[in-house]
Amino acid sequence: MMGHTQWLFFMRIALSFLLASLAGEGVCRLVKMPRITGYALAGLLLGPLGLDWVDGDDLPDFRFLVELTLTLLLFELGVRVSLRWLKYNPWVIASSLLESVATFIAVFGVLMGTGSEVKSALSIAVIAMGTSPVIVLRMVTEMRAQGQVTQRLLVLCGLNTVYSVVCFYLIMGWFQGAFHGQWFMALFHSFYLLVGSLGMGLVLALSFKLLRRMFELSDEQSAPVLFGLLLLLQALLVALELPVFLAPLLGGVLAKHFDPRPHLWPRHFGTAGSILTIILFMMTGSLLTRNAFVVGVGTAMIVVLARFVAKGLGVLLLGPVSGLNLRQSLVLGVALIPMAEIPLVELMDMRALYPQMGVRILPIVFSMMNVLEIVGPMAVQWGLIRSQEFQEKSS
Amino acid sequence: MKLPPFTSSRPLTLGVELELQLVNTYDYDLVDSTTDLLRLLKKKGKDWDVKPEITQGMVEMATGICVSHADVFEQLDEIRQGIVECADRLDIGVCGGGTHAFQHWSERRIYDTPRFDQLSSLYGYLAKQFTIFGQHVHVGCDNADEALTLLHLLSGFIPHFIALSASSPFVQGNDTGFHSARLNSVFSFPLSGRAPLIETWDSFGEYFESMMATGIVKSMKDFYWDIRPKPEYGTIEVRVMDTPLTIEKAAQIAAFIQSLTRYLTLERPYAPRETDYLVYTFNRFQACRFGYEGVYVNPRNHEHRSLSEEILETLNKIEPHAIALKADGACAALRREVSNANSDVGWLRQQHAQTKSLAEVVQRQCARWRA
Repeated sequence: MMGHTQWLFFMRIALSFLLASLAGEGVCRLVKMPRITGYALAGLLLGPLGLDWVDGDDLPDFRFLVELTLTLLLFELGVRVSLRWLKYNPWVIASSLLESVATFIAVFGVLMGTGSEVKSALSIAVIAMGTSPVIVLRMVTEMRAQGQVTQRLLVLCGLNTVYSVVCFYLIMGWFQGAFHGQWFMALFHSFYLLVGSLGMGLVLALSFKLLRRMFELSDEQSAPVLFGLLLLLQALLVALELPVFLAPLLGGVLAKHFDPRPHLWPRHFGTAGSILTIILFMMTGSLLTRNAFVVGVGTAMIVVLARFVAKGLGVLLLGPVSGLNLRQSLVLGVALIPMAEIPLVELMDMRALYPQMGVRILPIVFSMMNVLEIVGPMAVQWGLIRSQEFQEKSS
Repeated sequence: MKLPPFTSSRPLTLGVELELQLVNTYDYDLVDSTTDLLRLLKKKGKDWDVKPEITQGMVEMATGICVSHADVFEQLDEIRQGIVECADRLDIGVCGGGTHAFQHWSERRIYDTPRFDQLSSLYGYLAKQFTIFGQHVHVGCDNADEALTLLHLLSGFIPHFIALSASSPFVQGNDTGFHSARLNSVFSFPLSGRAPLIETWDSFGEYFESMMATGIVKSMKDFYWDIRPKPEYGTIEVRVMDTPLTIEKAAQIAAFIQSLTRYLTLERPYAPRETDYLVYTFNRFQACRFGYEGVYVNPRNHEHRSLSEEILETLNKIEPHAIALKADGACAALRREVSNANSDVGWLRQQHAQTKSLAEVVQRQCARWRA
């Protein structure tokens, strides 16, 4: 039975969704900007800064969908990270580590310089390391991009997402230890989260391979099976209280490693992916309240700038030895700008655990996230056009 | 531009060119990484001859001047390893095969050089359709007239070359039923086919100049003949082969052409004549369509037989020459293939039947190319 309020809520979300998707099309056709920039703008418009149709309190209702979106996308991203390649070309890992560490140091430094306290600065610096898999994958899919810049963009994004999530949990463990004085438990817990995620990723990859072999599934037939496995994984992760995001990403990496056959299934998830992206962007827009915006946007802009410089320099420095030319390295640095939405859910959890810290860092993070959801897709679009790796639509 | 003089070169020397496919490693479609691969290869500082081809996603490797089958194989092997190493650093795959199984021609991008741009604007979509991968074998000749005679003598063996090298059953995602569907793309070019039967370089020069006067051609490169002279190198260039799936096979085919040339030069079993060409396109079609199973019509005695029989008999005839050139091992390998009805096409279709996925076929092609 759908109650009166539920009906209204449903209507409000449905209209918002329609508006966001139309905004995407409009932005794409009128000003030739990426569709997802339109989704992000619509998200802001629908959120508390604009019409206030969708707000942060709705997030719990959508948590499942948001997590599902990210699970699918992260698995897809993982499949694009080839361990064999990293072995053949270790400079790719080196440039990934350099850009991430540089980002961490730059953001941490800037925040300390502008008077943040250590814990907030650490949290934000760790979050800032990650590039948005959602934006990167949507743009690569939409522009049908392929080539060296695209490939490295995906791999660096996958790697810095791993660093970012791992460091986030380590830091949270440290906070907890410091807070409760239970160091051993806190460290053990972080360890459990990371090893557990790796283990679940392994289980996912192996069961996918096994099912594919047992039923001789062709690529197309394997898409629904995979979807089922990812849903199951998500349920298990929740049951085991493991982070939702590390396991699918690592699972994708391992799945490709154990079974280097072609994986075309992302094509089959294409439309579903773009629908879920709209919902995700509506949610990030909904988190940015007027108050948070006023408090956070100044610092956020400085951090965004520092992050951009650090990522750009990091990639520029080691791009050439890893096999790119200078122009490609430069373009890659720009395309890494979009910031990960991954910590969204974790941050909500953190706010519940440490309300005071939430107050300090959430306005900055939410402001950054929204700014970069608008600018980020344009940066990726620019990069893929400059590197000539996009494919014109064939009619 | 006049027809350049024919440089004399040592008879029976060989040069082999192979056009290769560059693919990504997640869905195995062609990938625009030619520029990146060439940049990395250049950094290796070797004097390997590796060049871009008309679209991104193609690359051409070539040996220097070789004297024997072993020489060809060693040179191809060294360049192959160099290319594979660089490709690994870029996370791309390299493979043989006359066509990419499922690429879409409309997604190809012309490699940016003045010549390729000009070809693209002249031929339109044909230029992108020309994303096909062939093996070219140069054979050295000491004088121009001899080269032209040899060209026409070798023309009778075009079906043999096609059937032995065929590796392009799949085009744009479908099984065409052909063994070499690649050549169908070549035939759509206006100046493709056979060279006119002219056996002296002077007359050939006159022919070339009258063609130039019509404004249709500017250089020898504008002729897409199955075999054409390359005066700058002092060679004739056999161009009908698909790039085989392995360099072993590519080297064997070069050895076969070399032995056949020695046979034709020393024994001179007959002189070329225009009526030899009556069956030319029929035989060529049969080889493209059916491979070894195709019908071969002998233009001299009008006998019809299977191409496999014909190839085996040719291998018998040239055996002493193969032994003299140390190409007998290579020819024996080809004989086994024909006798057992093994071919690259058969292998490709078998992989497709097993995997039901053309992307996986390409993946296996890459693995075969490395091995």
